[in-house]
Amino acid sequence: MALIVKFYSLFKINLKSPGVEYELEGEITIFRLIKKLDQDFNGYFSQKLLESDGSIAPGSIILVNGHNVIHLEGLETKIDNQDIVTLFPPSAGG
Amino acid sequence: MKDYLKRQEKLFTEKQQQQLEKLNIMIAGTGGLGTNQALQLQRVGVNKIYLYDYDQVEITNLNRQLCYGKKDIGRPKVEAAAEFLKEFDLETEIVARNEKISMATKIPENIDIIFDGMDNFESRFILDQLALENELPFIHAGIEGFFAQIMLVLPESELRLKDVFAGSDKKETPAVFSPAVTVTASVQVLEALKYLLEFDNYLKNQLLHIDLLSSQMEKIELK
Repeated sequence: MALIVKFYSLFKINLKSPGVEYELEGEITIFRLIKKLDQDFNGYFSQKLLESDGSIAPGSIILVNGHNVIHLEGLETKIDNQDIVTLFPPSAGG
Repeated sequence: MKDYLKRQEKLFTEKQQQQLEKLNIMIAGTGGLGTNQALQLQRVGVNKIYLYDYDQVEITNLNRQLCYGKKDIGRPKVEAAAEFLKEFDLETEIVARNEKISMATKIPENIDIIFDGMDNFESRFILDQLALENELPFIHAGIEGFFAQIMLVLPESELRLKDVFAGSDKKETPAVFSPAVTVTASVQVLEALKYLLEFDNYLKNQLLHIDLLSSQMEKIELK
C-alpha cells in the first residue's frame, strides 16, 4: 500500500484534489514530502506549510496517522508506504 | 416527559429521554457556536445550561450570534443570552456566569459535558485541561468560512486537543457567517447527545471534518 496524502478544507478546494498517493522506495521525511508535493502542485505546499526560515507555519496542521508532527519529530518525522498524512488549515473561529 | 418534547419521543428510548432531561451542560463561550448550542440544547429539553463568557455584545457579533440584537450592544453576553433564552419560557434552567475561563475556573459539580464555544485555540487548550482535571467529556468545534471540525475528547482519551491542534492559531481573524456556524453547532450538539445517550456511533478518536462548499462530512482517524 502506498503513502496516502489527504487534503482538506481550502487545500482540497484550491487544488481541486482530495489528495494523492505515492509509492515510496523507502522512508522519507515530511520535509521531503512537502517538496515532492510542490513538484505536483506548483509549489503550493511550501507556501502554505512552511515559514521563510523553513519551520512549520502556524495555522496549518500536518498529521501522520492522526498525530500532529509537532509532537513527533516535526519536519524530520519519517513516513513510508502505508502511512496516512493529513494536511489542512484548521478552523479557529466560533 | 415535558409536554413540548412530544414530537421527539420516537427518536429515543424511554431511558434515553429520561437521561436527556437530566443533562446539565456547560457552554464555554456564548459567541456564534455557543448561542447556537444553547438554543438547540434548550429545544431538546436538557435540564440545565450554564453559560460562560466575559465579553460584551458588539456590532460585529450580530451576523451569527443568535441570542443578541442591536439593543444588546454593550451588555454582558451571558446576561443578554440568558434573558433571550428565558423568554421562551421552556423548562431548561439557564444559569449565566460572567467570567473568563481560566485554569482557576470552578466547574459546577453536576456538569455532564463541556461545550467548546471559543474562538481561538489558546482558550480551547485551557478548556480541554479543565475538562481533563474535572474528568469530564469535552466537545470541540471550530468554524472558519465554509469549513469546520468537531472532536469529542473523553475523560479517558489519551489524545487531547493540543495533541491534534498545536500550532493552529494564526494572526488573522477567521471569517465566519451564520449558516455555517449554525450547521456546525448543530452537529456538535448531535455528536454530544449521541455520546451522552449511549448511541453506538459516536466520535471516538476521530475528527469530524465538515466541508460545506463540497457538501461533505468526513471522519479523520486520529489513532
